[in-house]
Amino acid sequence: MTKNITVVGVGALGSHVVQFLRSEDVAIRAIDFDRVEQKNVYSQFHSKPGVGKKKVASLAQSMQMLFGAKIKTISHKLSKDNQDALLGGDLVIDCLDNATSRSLVQEWVRKHNVPCLHGALAPDGSFGRVVWDENFAIDSEGEPGSATCESGEFLPFIAITSAYLARAAQEFFLDNRRVGYEVSPSGATKT
Amino acid sequence: MHNQYRNDEARVNVTYAGQNGDLPDSVYTHASDGDIRAWATEAVRNGSIPGIRPSPSATFHGFVVDRFRATRDRPYNLIQLRPKTPFG
Repeated sequence: MTKNITVVGVGALGSHVVQFLRSEDVAIRAIDFDRVEQKNVYSQFHSKPGVGKKKVASLAQSMQMLFGAKIKTISHKLSKDNQDALLGGDLVIDCLDNATSRSLVQEWVRKHNVPCLHGALAPDGSFGRVVWDENFAIDSEGEPGSATCESGEFLPFIAITSAYLARAAQEFFLDNRRVGYEVSPSGATKT
Repeated sequence: MHNQYRNDEARVNVTYAGQNGDLPDSVYTHASDGDIRAWATEAVRNGSIPGIRPSPSATFHGFVVDRFRATRDRPYNLIQLRPKTPFG
């Protein structure tokens, strides 16, 4: 039976996890209000023709053009007022880049008892986490002006972490196991 | 429980500067976050964590201590010292 997945944030981790799930029997709903910038093309699953477009629209176009896969798109910023309308499904995957929005997701999935995977990256691209909500504590953001793992050198590591996010979702739908991963450049540890 | 660790012990995994390794000895699960940071600092400075190059100026200020209970897939308690991960 087709599973419904909501991916919140389709930047670094979220854009890649959508394409890594393309062969699963899932219906994906992608939420992001942001637009594709040139710098995003270096490390995210967004392409040059998408620059200037909404990230969800750019991603939907790439998925359709490259793989013939359709995704639903919502180009709104998640807020307290719209979280009931936007969030939902059999699994929520949080790939947001700020603590305020992550807390909205966490509050909602806990209230509605919806399984949720969180993907998170260190600013220097040296460490990634794939964490089920029951084990997830939201990290505060770094100092203004600190690294944001946006440059192209981090692309392989971002993609690896995204692949573990997709793998965790696969394992969950396969036999209901909630496996998390801690990912470093030298390998991954199950948590 | 994995026979290497008792129920009141945990493996400590450290991520530092893109490298990853375990403290050579297990710790009690009730060790404080400050203790974990101090032991890791000493170990990384001394080069006693396999997989992490010695770094005399290593510091774990701002790092996060996560604690995971043993599971079916990982039959031992795990304490992880890691950088903050605010991005997604």
